[in-house]
Amino acid sequence: MSRAERAVRPGGRTVEHLKSWLIMLPGLVLMAFFVWEPLFESVRMSLYKTRNVELVRFIGLDNFVSVTGKDDFLQALVNTFSYTFWSLLIGFGLPVLLSLLIGETTRGKSFFRTAVYLPNMLPGLAVIILWSAFFSGEKSGVLNILLSRLGIPAQTYLTRADWVIPILIIIATWKGAGSTALIYMAGMAGISPELYEAATIDGATVRQRIFHITLPAIRKLAGTLLILQIISVFQIMYEPMVLTKGGPDNASLSLMQLMWQYAFGGSMNYGKASAVAVIVTLILLAMTAVYSWLNRRESDWD
Amino acid sequence: MKKLSTALCMLLALSLILAACPAAAQDVGLIDAGLTCTITLGNWPSDTAPDAEKALFENYRAIMAVQYPNVTLVPDYYSYTLSNYVPMAKGGTAPSIFQPPFTDPQLLISQHLVGDVTDALEQFGVLDKFSPAYVEMLADENGRIYGLPRDGYVLGMHINIELFREAGLMTEDGLPMYPKTLQELAEYGQIIREKTGKAGLVFPASEAYGGWLFTNIAWNFGCVGENALEYQDEDGRWVCNFTSPQCIAAMEYIRDLRWKYDILNADATTTDWAGAHSLLGTGEAAMNFAADDSVDQPTANKGLPVEDFALVPFPAGEAGRYALAGGTCYMFSPDITPDQAIALMAYLKVLGKLPFLDESIIAGMRADYAAKRDRGAPVLPAISAWTDADYNAAKQAIVEEFSNVDMRLYSDFFGSLDDGSITLKSEEPVFAQQLYRELTAVIQRVITREGADVTKALQKAQDSFQEYLDDEINDY
Repeated sequence: MSRAERAVRPGGRTVEHLKSWLIMLPGLVLMAFFVWEPLFESVRMSLYKTRNVELVRFIGLDNFVSVTGKDDFLQALVNTFSYTFWSLLIGFGLPVLLSLLIGETTRGKSFFRTAVYLPNMLPGLAVIILWSAFFSGEKSGVLNILLSRLGIPAQTYLTRADWVIPILIIIATWKGAGSTALIYMAGMAGISPELYEAATIDGATVRQRIFHITLPAIRKLAGTLLILQIISVFQIMYEPMVLTKGGPDNASLSLMQLMWQYAFGGSMNYGKASAVAVIVTLILLAMTAVYSWLNRRESDWD
Repeated sequence: MKKLSTALCMLLALSLILAACPAAAQDVGLIDAGLTCTITLGNWPSDTAPDAEKALFENYRAIMAVQYPNVTLVPDYYSYTLSNYVPMAKGGTAPSIFQPPFTDPQLLISQHLVGDVTDALEQFGVLDKFSPAYVEMLADENGRIYGLPRDGYVLGMHINIELFREAGLMTEDGLPMYPKTLQELAEYGQIIREKTGKAGLVFPASEAYGGWLFTNIAWNFGCVGENALEYQDEDGRWVCNFTSPQCIAAMEYIRDLRWKYDILNADATTTDWAGAHSLLGTGEAAMNFAADDSVDQPTANKGLPVEDFALVPFPAGEAGRYALAGGTCYMFSPDITPDQAIALMAYLKVLGKLPFLDESIIAGMRADYAAKRDRGAPVLPAISAWTDADYNAAKQAIVEEFSNVDMRLYSDFFGSLDDGSITLKSEEPVFAQQLYRELTAVIQRVITREGADVTKALQKAQDSFQEYLDDEINDY
């Protein structure tokens, strides 16, 4: 009896199913315990008046009404979208550019790959502390020392409400662009060399090869990384928390940081913190749904 | 050198253990000699802590082993923060003893997250020796005690004398001509900025620090009594009051420090407590509102020589001369048993944190002050949280033995406490951390936007904090 025949026998199928479930079981248990249960608990908590982590009484949507009615929520929401905007402006194209440049390099490719990935290997907090010395507004700040060599007086950076988010995104991009560039490089490695050879024989320039072969080939990958980047930036927390503490005057406060403040910032209001978490989740779900819809529509056209 | 310090530590250990033996007899009648339990001790020095500190705690453990052989001590490196403590307390994994700041006990007590040690304290006979202000901070409405003071502090001002010297602000006696009033602070800071290019005052206006310091300034502008930042009305409801003329004047003063006098450090909104000490210690700022318990920060930790450092009283305002008094306390996990509570009091007694005098405690104090002197930190008289005169006099004698500073640089600070020229005041009574955060947001606004409307910003903060008070207390 062939394997295919065994598989279609009712008893055989049950055994195969059982094996599959057994293989998945540890993962499912871990997911249920560490992901799904806390997630549902968080949703439940958002509907209750809480005393630390205890549920006191059901209050419906009061926590949502309370948190969304405050100025700091609106500020945090606007800031979070601002983070996303600046992240796409500064950080989306850079990994593509890096991967293209490294892809076109003929010597020292491994060195450049390692070099762009290196910041990603540094601990996140160390990176923040490093850049805080760079952007320090004191005369001893690294950037101010460099500017003073050019005769420019010392500036403040992190205390300026309109500069603080772009600066934080520059820091996050410096740290994260290398790893994204590696993914793009892997994507580009999958493009058939015959396409480039044919283009070269036809006399295509580097620019034409990039715009007519490379970029169209990685378009879907870029779409996936775009949504991942938006989801990631939407959850930005430790960068502003460490570098600016959400300031000045809440100018860098993110939604995740606001959630942290409700839970651990002195008030221990886990109900309101959960409400903010649920709102963030809903926004991200909506974004993911839009992306999936666009992606599916595009696939239909293809 | 390392061998010498190790040998000294071992010698100290031996002397402490030997000294501890007769002391055990003192507890006969107080504690059951067969007391048997296990206690976990938070804030135990980590493996990377200085050798002297580790040796000191090992000595404490050795003394406990002699005095209370059936009490098992389990060291724990746990360091308290509100956010990490709550899940541990709820999950039953909090250490038996930990050290929160004085801003948190009332919150922890109200949420039933700490253990009651009243009966154990009575057994040790120290209940009536607490400074009343500390009892108030560490008890519930029924007078049950949930914590013990570790140490107290009074807010004053740290001075970098080198920058005062550079700015020509020195008396004929070679002492810094420090500001006595908030107005003088602005003016002297301006002179320092002009003469040295450095910040006159470092103001840590991030998270809750800015609001914390602001409350002291506000008190000196008259935000006390009926104009207090928060108070209880006739119905017992808590009311936030950030929009009194006094509070507005205090916030306008902060605004002037930035825009009129320009004496603040450049990155005030990102500067925290440690950053402020760093700026003063490294000569980037001349003055810092800070307390007597952190004099080691700019000196031993940041390299400012003790002869270039002074501690002076908090500057007086138009309507008062208050200084914030607070500190750190010991609290206990909510699930401690009566036996564990007694064992924990015994441990604190060995640490010299209860008002008992014996040779082992005096030896411990000596070791503590010797370590401070060796690190290059000023050895200063401590502000006691106990009312026991003998205990306080013994500590003072040891301080004088190890003193490494010119006390003229500190005499006005300690003198103001003794002669009553400064009034000590505890932190705002309810939800102080949240109140500080609201005020910090206003401070950040007024020091980053020149045209910021102070009254409007304070009104917004008041509305927000009032909603918080209603939610957490008034309508709970």
